[in-house]
Order: sequence, then C-alpha cells, then structure tokens
Amino acid sequence: MVILIKRWLLFTLLWTVCWLSTPPIDAAEESDYYKLISVVTSQAQTDSRSKNWKPAPDGLALEVSGIAVLDNQKVAVTIRKGEIWILDGVYDDPPKNVTYHQFATALHEPLGLIKKDDAFYTVQRSELTRIRDTDGDLVADEYLTVAKGWGVTGHYHEYAYGPELDGDGNFWLTLNTGLGLKGDQLNRTITEPTLKVRQGRWRGWGMKVTPEGEMIPMCAGMRSPSGLGANAAGDMFYTDQQGNWVGTNTLHHMRQGAFFHHPDSLASMNEPDSPIKGITEIPNGLPFPQAVKKFSALKPPAVWLPYKKIGQSATDIMLDQSDGKFGPFAGQFFLGEFTQAGINRVYLEKIGGEYQGACFPFRSGLASAVLRLAQGTDGSIFAGLTNRGWSSLGTASYGLQRLTWTGKTPFEIQEMRAMPDGFELVFTKPVDPKTGSLPTSYEMSSYTYQYHSTYGSDEILKQSPAIESAIVSEDGYRVRLKIRGLRELFVHELWCRGIRNRDGEALLHPDAYYTLNRLPNK
Amino acid sequence: MRIWMVLRSTILLVGISFFLSGIAHSAEPFVSGYDRFAPSKSISESLAGQLLLTELSCTACHETDDEELRPKNGPDLNGVGSRVNADWLRDYLAAPHDIKPGTTMPDMLAGLPDAKKQNAITALTAFLMNQKQEFPEIIAGGLSPVPYEFWNKGDAELGKGLFHRVGCIACHEPDQDYETAEYKPTPLDQMIEQLDDEELKELGLSQHLRPVKSVPHGELGKKYSPKSLTYFLLNPEKYRPAGRMPNFKLAPMEASHLAAYLQVNRLGKSRNKKSDFSRDFIEKGRQLFSELQCSSCHQAKGIDSKSSAKKLSELNLEATQICVTNPGSNQPRYPLSEKQAISLKVAVQTLKNNDSPEQHLKLELRMLQLNCYGCHERNERGGVGRNRKAYLETVRHIDLGDEGRIPPPLTGVGQKLNQNWLKRVLDGTGVVRPHLSARMPKYPVTQVKSLPAQFAAVDDFQQQTEQEVFKETKNLATSGRMLLDTGCVQCHPIRGEALPGVVGVDLSGVTDRLHPAWFKKFMFNPGAVKTRTRMPTFFPNGKSSNSQLLDGDVDLQIASLWVYLKDLKNQPLPEKIITARSQTFELVPKEKPIVLRTFMDEAGTHAIAVGYPEKLHFAYDAEQVRIAEIWTGRFLDAQGTWYERFAPPADPLGESHRLLLSGPTLTYQADDPPVFKGYRLQKSGRPTFLFRLAEFDIEEQIFPTKTGRLRRIWTIRTQRQSSGIHPLNLHLLPDAKHVDPTTITSDAGLKVHLKTTSKATPTKDGWNLSLLPLTAGKPFVIEVEYQW
Repeated sequence: MVILIKRWLLFTLLWTVCWLSTPPIDAAEESDYYKLISVVTSQAQTDSRSKNWKPAPDGLALEVSGIAVLDNQKVAVTIRKGEIWILDGVYDDPPKNVTYHQFATALHEPLGLIKKDDAFYTVQRSELTRIRDTDGDLVADEYLTVAKGWGVTGHYHEYAYGPELDGDGNFWLTLNTGLGLKGDQLNRTITEPTLKVRQGRWRGWGMKVTPEGEMIPMCAGMRSPSGLGANAAGDMFYTDQQGNWVGTNTLHHMRQGAFFHHPDSLASMNEPDSPIKGITEIPNGLPFPQAVKKFSALKPPAVWLPYKKIGQSATDIMLDQSDGKFGPFAGQFFLGEFTQAGINRVYLEKIGGEYQGACFPFRSGLASAVLRLAQGTDGSIFAGLTNRGWSSLGTASYGLQRLTWTGKTPFEIQEMRAMPDGFELVFTKPVDPKTGSLPTSYEMSSYTYQYHSTYGSDEILKQSPAIESAIVSEDGYRVRLKIRGLRELFVHELWCRGIRNRDGEALLHPDAYYTLNRLPNK
Repeated sequence: MRIWMVLRSTILLVGISFFLSGIAHSAEPFVSGYDRFAPSKSISESLAGQLLLTELSCTACHETDDEELRPKNGPDLNGVGSRVNADWLRDYLAAPHDIKPGTTMPDMLAGLPDAKKQNAITALTAFLMNQKQEFPEIIAGGLSPVPYEFWNKGDAELGKGLFHRVGCIACHEPDQDYETAEYKPTPLDQMIEQLDDEELKELGLSQHLRPVKSVPHGELGKKYSPKSLTYFLLNPEKYRPAGRMPNFKLAPMEASHLAAYLQVNRLGKSRNKKSDFSRDFIEKGRQLFSELQCSSCHQAKGIDSKSSAKKLSELNLEATQICVTNPGSNQPRYPLSEKQAISLKVAVQTLKNNDSPEQHLKLELRMLQLNCYGCHERNERGGVGRNRKAYLETVRHIDLGDEGRIPPPLTGVGQKLNQNWLKRVLDGTGVVRPHLSARMPKYPVTQVKSLPAQFAAVDDFQQQTEQEVFKETKNLATSGRMLLDTGCVQCHPIRGEALPGVVGVDLSGVTDRLHPAWFKKFMFNPGAVKTRTRMPTFFPNGKSSNSQLLDGDVDLQIASLWVYLKDLKNQPLPEKIITARSQTFELVPKEKPIVLRTFMDEAGTHAIAVGYPEKLHFAYDAEQVRIAEIWTGRFLDAQGTWYERFAPPADPLGESHRLLLSGPTLTYQADDPPVFKGYRLQKSGRPTFLFRLAEFDIEEQIFPTKTGRLRRIWTIRTQRQSSGIHPLNLHLLPDAKHVDPTTITSDAGLKVHLKTTSKATPTKDGWNLSLLPLTAGKPFVIEVEYQW
C-alpha cells in the first residue's frame, strides 16, 4: 500500500511538470483557416431514415432548405416542414441570443428562398410562390402563385428547387425526376412514345420564369438537381447527383436547349414549348466522351465531381461575392455536400465559349448534411443542414451553421487553368521553387465515366498523363505544368503531394480535378 | 522544447504503464476469462485450464475431437503484408511477449541460436510481407458516407468517444482522462484495481470489486497503417476468424475515428520497402513458416502443414520437455505463469479421465472464450467491470438506470428468449435496445451457432405453447390494448411510436422474441425474474391493479397483453400513444383557421386543406380550382406532410366526409380552365383564394356560417368594360336534383343553396348564370352554401 502511494505521488509530480511545457504543433487543419460556428444543430429523436421520423423534442425543427440573408443581423430560412422563419442575432459568436420569428406557414416542402424587393420567393412542390407581408405585422398574408404547371404526380422524389436569380432578373428553378412511379401517380404523367419515357410534365427540367411570370422550359436531362446558382457573369448553373445515367455528381451550365444526361426528362420533349426536339435514340452503355460525339444534344458537365473524392451528393451552389472577405476565393463557387457534410470549391473558366474547370475539397466536418449555402454580409457562409431521408456524416440531424474565415490564408491551389499543353496552377501562397519545379511533386491521372442507365459509374479508361516539366513563376504564385497525354472530355485528377510553400508547408488539399472538355487553342 | 516534449511523452508512458494502467503488462499470456475468474477460483481449475487450451491454441497442435476445445488460432495471414508494418513484424517475431505483452502467441524462435534466429526473422518477415492483398472497396451511397481515403480522415477525439461508449472498454483499457457523465474513478478505486486477488480476499471484497484487467493490443500505431487498422475494425472476422474481437458494426468513418484514437503515435511508412526482400529470403521464409508449423494456427496462401505433435489425449505430462513447463528448442515457448501451468496440467489430466464435460461447462467455456462475461452477467458471474460501467451511457442521457445503459444479464436467458431471436442477436440483425450507447457486436456464425440451443438446454427450457401457457386467448386483444395504456406505454415505444421522451425496448415483435411462459412469469412479477429491474409489477400481491378489465383476472389480463402484442400489426396503437401523437401532429384550429398545403387523395397534389375552429373543414384543389372534399369534426394529421420522407397524402380526420365534383367549379364558355393565382390571408386568418378565368379575376372565400353551413363566395372582376351577357357555369353536384329554383341536392345527402340575384338556369350539375355586362372595377358576386 505504501509503495502504491509513493508511486502515486511520484507520478503526479512528473505529470504536473510535464504538463507545464507547451503542446506540440499540429499539422494544418481546415479549422485553422475556416472556423465553424453552430447557430443551431439538433439531433432528431429517430434515425434519419425512420418511417416515424421525429424532430428533437425541444424547439423548432430547423431543417433548413433555403436561406435568404437579410442584413448583418438576420437571415430568413425556409424549413422542410413548410415554414419561413426569420432568425435574428445569427452573426454573434457564440450565437447565444438568437431569436426566432415565424414569418410564413403552410408551404409544401419549400426548397429554396430568396428575397427580391419587398417579397420572398420560394419554390414549393407545385409552384413558385411570392410571399409578402402587406399589413406590416411582420407575418406573411399574401401567397401569390408566380408560376406553376409542372407535373406533380405525388411521388416523394419530385422535389422542386429554387428559385435563384440570373443576371437579367429571371427566376430559375429545377425539377427532380420521379423514381419508380406507380398507381395513381402514373395518371399524372406524360409519355414520349419513341423513347418510351414517362414522367410528370417538365420533370427533369430547368425552368426560367421571367419577372412577368412567364415560365420557359430551358434545359433537360436532370436527375436530382438540388442546387442552383449564378456566377458573376449572371449565368445559371445547377448540380446533379449520381444515379442512373449520372456517373458521378456534376456541375452544369444551364442554357436553352441543353440536354445533360437523364433521358426520363424527354417525356416532355413533344410539349409545344420544348426547346429540345427530335431525339429518337439514347446511347446506353458508352463512355461519356463517345456518347457526346454520338448524341449531339448531350452537353458535357462543366465540372465532374469525382465520387467520394469531391463528395457523394452535391447540393447548393454559392458564388463567393465577398470580394476577399471570405479569403482568397472571391468569384469562385462553393458547393454544398450532403452525405459527407461538407463544402467543396469550384474554379471555372470559359474555353471555346463553354464553361469548364476544376473542383477542390474545401471544408469537411459540418454537423449534418449540407443542403443550402448563403453568404452573409460579412463574407461568412451560412450552411443550412438537414439529413432526413438519407444519411450523412456529422453529429446532428439538422440546423444552421456559419463558416467564417479566420483571416489566415490556407496554402491551396486557388485556380487550375487549362493550357494547350498542360495546366497552369495558381496558388494562394508562393511555392517553394525547389519542390515546385520537380515533376515528381505532381501526379496526374485521367478518366471518364460510363454513360448508361445503371446507377453511377466507376472511373473508366484510366490513364496517367506524364508530367514533363513544372516551371515555377518568379513570384512563386504560379506553376506551369507541361503534360503529355491530355484527353478532351476526360477528368484530369492532379495530386500535388510533393510541393511545399516557402514556409515548408504542404498544401491543405493537394488534390484538384479538372474537367477538360476542350483544350484551349495554342 | 523538443526535448521536453519527448521527455514528457516518455515519462507519461512510463507513468501510465507502471501505475495507472490495468492492462496486463507482464509477459504471461493474457486471457480475459482466465485472469478474471481463475485466480479467485470462481471457475474450476479444470475449466480454467481448458480455456487456456483453446485460447493459447494448444489444441491447434495437440488435436482433440472435442468441439468446445477448438483452438482460437491466430490471425489469418493472407494479405498480412498489406496490413502490418515490416519493422513491427520483425520486432514482434524476435520477441512477441515484449512487443505485445500478454499476447497468446508463443515464441517460436526462442530455441534458435542467435545468428540463426536473426536469419529466421528476416526470412519470415520477407515471406509474410510478401503476402499482399487489396483491401475491399467500401460501397458508398446516399446512405453510407465514405469519404475518399476515409482511413486518413479519422478524428481521434471522436474515436475516443466511440471507444468508450460503444463498448470497446468492456475488454480494452479505458482512458483515465475520459470524461464520463457519471462519477470518475477515485484514486481509491484505482488502488483497488491494483490489488491482487489475495489482497482483495484479505480485505473481504466481493467478486464485484475484483479488478477486471484489459485485453492488451500493443502499440497499434507501430503495427498497422491507418488504413489497415481501419479495415480491421470494420471487419475483424476477416482477419481474425475466431471472433474474439467481434464486429461492432462500425460505419467507415467510425472505424477511421477509432483507428485515429488507437494509433496514438502513428508512424509514417515503414523503413522496409517491398524490394528489400529478396526472392531467396521470401522462399526461405516460406519453408520456415512450414517447418515451424505456423500454419497450425495461421492461414497463409499455399501452406498447409500438419502438426506432428501428440494428440491432447496422448500427452505425457510427466515428460521432461513439455511446452508448459520446459519447452525444448523446437517447441513453442509461452511465458506461462505458474498458475497457468497448473491449470493447463489439471485440464489435460481431467480431460483424460472424463469422457465429456457437462453441458453447462461447455456453455461456460464458450462464454469465457468469447468473453461474453465482459459485458453480461450470468448466474452471478461477470458483467461489465466495476469501473467501466460509467462509460456506457443511455442515449441523450435519459435516466433509465443501469438497464438503460448496461448490457442485459443472461441469467435464465434460455428460458426467456426464443432461439431464433437469440440467433439474430448474435449475428447482429436482432437489435432492440437502441437506447444503449453500447452495441451488441456481431460474432462469426461458426463461433456462436451452438449458443442458442446450449442456453436453452442449460437453463432447462421446456417448450410450452401459447395455448398451454395462457389457456384462453380468444377476443382478448382489445383488453390487452387498454391494459397497455395503464403502464407499459410509460416506458416502452410501440411500433416506433412513443409518449414524449420515452425511450426503451419497443414492444412490437416481443412475442417473436420471448417465450410465452417467461413472458407470463415476468409480467406477473418482474422483480422475481430479474433482480433490480425497473419494471414494476402491475399485479402487486398477485392481484391486478385493474379490477375492471376482464374481471380483474390476472391470468386473462396477462394473456390479453400477449394477444394484443402478437396481433400488433393489425391493431390500433394504445389510446395514450394516439393521443400523444395527435397532440404533436394533429392540427387543431383554435382561434384562427389553419391552412396546410399538402398531397391529398381527393384534392390531389396541389391540395390546400383549410380547417376552421367551427369544426367545418375543406380541401381545396388548386390545380382544378375546386373544393374536393368537405368534412366536420377533427381536422388533419400533419406528420406525413411535415416529416415523412415518402410524402404520403394527408388523410382528413373527423367525420361526415363529402366528396365534391371533379373538375373546375366555375367555367366560362367552353375552354380556358381557371388558373390558380394564390391566396391572401385576412386578419382573421381566413384565406381568400385567387384565380383567373378567361378575362375575369376571381376571388373566392369559403368559410362556415353561424348555422353550420359552409358558405362559398366568388367575387368576379374584369379589367375592361364588357358588353353582352356572359354565361358562367356553376358545377356543384353530380346528378343534381333541383328541389326548388335555388336548391339542389345529391344522393349523398348534400344540399347546395344558391344566393344570387342573377338569372339562374338549372343544369345537370348546378346552374348556368347569365352575368350582366360587367363594368371595369365593379365586382359581381355569387354565393352558395353547402349543408350536410
């Protein structure tokens, strides 16, 4: 016994002495640069897939499905239950005094929210609605139908997303395809007899609604287009999710007459105002680059988001309009990621008149599935979370988090540009010339996906293009890679594990994935 | 600074190992069941020895026909070169008991002279590191997040939480710094942990205070890569087929978090690359592996050498060179303690003398081998170790006592559980305690397939049919349902539905899980069957606390519970649960009307349900622009609309449902269907629907009158001056009977009264109205009332 006590004392002494010394320096982590603040994160009482899903026992089921930033204190959110709430005090850190005000109710699973002039706009399952408070009591009393007329068969998968505004002030919305319609649902479908596809009207389409309320079908072939967003030029994009006909998640430029991948949407091809006509055959089971050549309406995605590497289910699109208040990525897109509860990043450029570009991992570790993103007035990002119906990483079932820039610049690949004989990389910090100019610091592979009716696709036709040289610019911010074996319409995956910046740090995310639809001319 | 850091971690490690740790760090092989129960003689010397015979894999070489004495054997070494670090392997082969104190692997090279030994180690390492195998692809999808290279993305802090909560700590060493919701072990507790059995006995401490030592796992950071440890945790059976480390059904990221936590000091790549191993060495290693009869315990591709050792029954314990006490140079060397050696000898001797052990001993041996006792108490043996209980939690920290966080005792389980259910519990598909943070792990089928029958046999289970137990089972379900309301629903969910805040074992399926006789006995007096249970008796002193139902007949009442639960799929939920559900999800208009947009069977996919405090309600179809359905009484349950993934149609509650005519209510000329334009809410909350019909802008209000009718008013406007007469059709009832100029009725007993000054002509489903020329801005009003 005595010996034990002696040992205890000795140990305690040593322990205390040790504890006074400083802790070791950790490797760089995402949280060093971008900090997450939880406004609300709640754990439902049941599993995300439960038939009897129940929200957390206390408070509001804040399954955020749309975010409109109001000012530097408030945001308005739609929740999946069908309401609009105004949250005040959301920028506080910690957000201890957030207040909640119910603004609107009785919406049918609204999946988007914007504020334009004095009204909110949201897309419900069956219509685009303009919502206003006309008598000044801060509660909505006017729910006007701006546009409707798409098919709603009653199938749960027929989500309707939006709206977002393009550069000309038009509203855009996207319509999920139904999956495995049956019974009464089939009575609300239309059929295209040649292709033998059957869906609700305009299902799988992107629609534009003019400020006057005219709805114009724009582009088709969508599977599960849960995110929309315009870039700085005012062009509209959407994300799609892996599944039948969709090899992996994608980012597309929406424009009139484009067809993206899922043929079920062509059920509406013979409608009078369809901009797509006369498709008689869908090639099933070809590598995507071949399918594009054979099938002229098929437009390649601006960016493929390789499965697992850049998430498993892309959602919202947010343009960084902060002009640097959110760090070094102004003008780029941030994409929500559902299953892996994260945010990814996209750089786009126009080659030959069409958008293409690269995606990069950005931030993981959110509390639940990210469905919506919106930029606060201070540049920070609000992330609307909800994982009901599927599954996600993270500790919560739903909620709202805010991602702020700590002011420290991460060492990242800021841009990846296509060159006639390789790529040019732009970094956020100067690269150490020694590691930067070693071709072995880089590793590239290229691949594509199968275009087929099967669910998802492996990466196919893989090759390893050779890095012939790497030239670091004088200021260290750029590296010019000369590469042999580039292929148009293929994804080019780049790993820069070997490079360091001038402080000896490795890249926070060494990987980038460029969709090389076209090589630029020399 | 750096020196301090190194020093700090060194001192820390030393400190931990010489004081705090309950890990077995002596060299003797560690077997949980043996260490916990043998020294105190809680199990017989012979049983203890048998346990060692299997766990030290003695019977891998010394064969026996006894099924229970099947050796544990070592890891499957196919692909070991992809899993372990070469440096670690080399060190381990050189001195297994130093590198992994407590390991059950014998030292096979101890007898070799030094130079020869070094060569053997190099050759074996070469051979083993050459055993490569790809890790399987983990399928990712909308339901299973699998980040790219997830094994590199683990968070040690999250892993630490999992390690303590899911049950790893039942066998492995908890972290002393881990914060538990409950009390932390005090220094006194920790000192008690250090006492050996004799000291405990001297102090008169009972079996519950006996320290439970932890299964050591060596330095995992040195042994595995993050990837290989993560994959091991995801599917231990694949690499260690004996299932001593069972499968905790971890999600990929959970395994990755755990690996990050377990690999405190993760190493980079091994010093040895594959190319370091010459073909000669690999070949030599293969020969050695065969010669040393490693394959008696380990699987490796292409090697299948038989042991030449004596059968268990032929062992001569009097021989001078035996592996137990004095191994020869070619014999495996275990650093057995004296006690272990004695146990082994006694076991071998007993087995020689007896034919076959009794049934209950076979079962106990199995439970000791798999360390079921690490979590479960059975017949006052085992259970979660004293200072480990605090780590196991109830979800959301709801207070359910020990039953809500500690794995259930197995005393009498053979009488309690249906064998098929027990089989499902063991294969990982039968889970009924979602409120426990601890998970019942999944075991390899071969290791547990005999357990259900053994439990039944040992617990003397006598099959009794429902009929024999309950006698009367007819027409009892309704009473059973009412009885459930008197108590059961306070603690048990039913079909996933529960009173607010209730978590516990869901009673659906209970009749498939339990034997009827046990159910009856337990219901009658839970405390008599399960000591310290929180389940109260509803039959104090053998009398029912409800003397009304079934005349207070205890047997019949218990039978009625069984009958109701057995037929649960076809039965309504207990009333209290229905009420609680409706309090949460039923829309009850109180001061203002309630509006809900949803899917409805009659009103379609553009439905707007409106409920009034006056208990008159309607469902508006905003696609066809009509009322689809009207009803009275209760309004609507919104759960499906708000929270159900499959967006089911909302069912109107209440009564006196009447379906109205399909198609638009108002038509103008022939074509041009009305177009819905939304609605406004008046201060009273009453909606005014808006639609456009040809050139007309129309507002529509629908609300109850004081006389209990539903009034519907259309206000029609046009933007431009119009001339002529506008024929407007009102479609109200199918096959309308015109009982007077302003009243029609339907077969379903629905009456519609028209209140308008305009000229109305009867039609088959309502009236045709001739609107006078309209002036811009000046409205025209039509009004009808529904009565039913």
